[in-house]
Amino acid sequence: MPEDTFMGVKREKIDWSPTIDYSKCDFCMECDKFCPHYVFERRDEDPKLVVANPTNCVVFCRACAKTCGPDAISFPSKPETIAKIKKIREEEGEQ
Amino acid sequence: MKRAVLPCNGLDKQHGVLARELALSLSETQGAEIICPVLLNTAPARYEKALADAFLLVVDGCPTRCASKLAGKLGLRVDDKVLVSEQAKSAGLEVGVSLRPGPVGMRLVEIMAKGLAEPKDTSAEQVSTGEFESPGDFLTVTYDKFIFNIPTQDYLFNENDCWVRVIGGRARVGVTDFVQQNMTDITYFEPAEVGKQVEQFDEVGSLESGKSMMDTLSPVSGRIVAVNTQLVDSPELVNEDPYGKGWIAEIELRDFDSDRELLLDGVAYSKIVEKKAAEAQH
Repeated sequence: MPEDTFMGVKREKIDWSPTIDYSKCDFCMECDKFCPHYVFERRDEDPKLVVANPTNCVVFCRACAKTCGPDAISFPSKPETIAKIKKIREEEGEQ
Repeated sequence: MKRAVLPCNGLDKQHGVLARELALSLSETQGAEIICPVLLNTAPARYEKALADAFLLVVDGCPTRCASKLAGKLGLRVDDKVLVSEQAKSAGLEVGVSLRPGPVGMRLVEIMAKGLAEPKDTSAEQVSTGEFESPGDFLTVTYDKFIFNIPTQDYLFNENDCWVRVIGGRARVGVTDFVQQNMTDITYFEPAEVGKQVEQFDEVGSLESGKSMMDTLSPVSGRIVAVNTQLVDSPELVNEDPYGKGWIAEIELRDFDSDRELLLDGVAYSKIVEKKAAEAQH
């Protein structure tokens, strides 16, 4: 498996993944059915759906939120995430 | 042109019920032929005649978008789409939880029907400069039986498989050959709103195929000054010419020097494609 990076920055250093608002989620699992990157995982116990693999999430993709009927999925701010990625790149020097 | 309307008919959701009501309203006032999603799913041949050469409107109640997915699965050409829950939000209407349409719900149906009465005027959106030609030189990434083309000159890329070509203070953006080959036949294009300000990596138009859905994440920040309305009727242009006729949006640049920091040239992007192609096979 090649090293997982985004613009040369290690993926685990980038805070980008969905957050489920459990007060809205009706566990229809549409997001999980949609996402080809196995970000979500279904569980037998409550909550029946969790963000199990946040670093699998494609940086800046928010497509799963579009499939969410009850609007229960949110993401971090893009401009803030962009700024953080640039800062890390600057600190680490051009890769 | 005759019209056909495919509602989701979501009987157990308040917005789905209104999708059905909107279909009924369009049938009564505009003579649109209603396509029942249940029958269409069971016996698509029954609607072959109704769908042939018709302007097809797909009405989804909620973002699960069952009607859109059904249309995608059957490879139908979709001309317009409405998402009732989104329409309710933008109209500021709370339709309540009852599964029988109430006065607020019917008001929303009226608003949506009115908005669909006239064909969209897209002429004002066509202010593209037309200076962008298809690329000349490509480098190729070969993986298994796939060959992915990547233009080497004038094009830059983000890691989300979208390209940008800058001429003066403007840029055209689109998706790469890698995207179109992965999606297979693209059947629907939803353009972004002209005039909208976007940040780098914001969504500037989405594509759908029977296989998947993809947002174009803009490689640059700025104001959308044109969208490729040709793709509404011919989304397959993205498959045929992803770097040329299949462009998605034109953007007036705001801070390209800053955007450039998170963009790759063709050679660097080819390494990303190599990696993604290998991952896609495993």
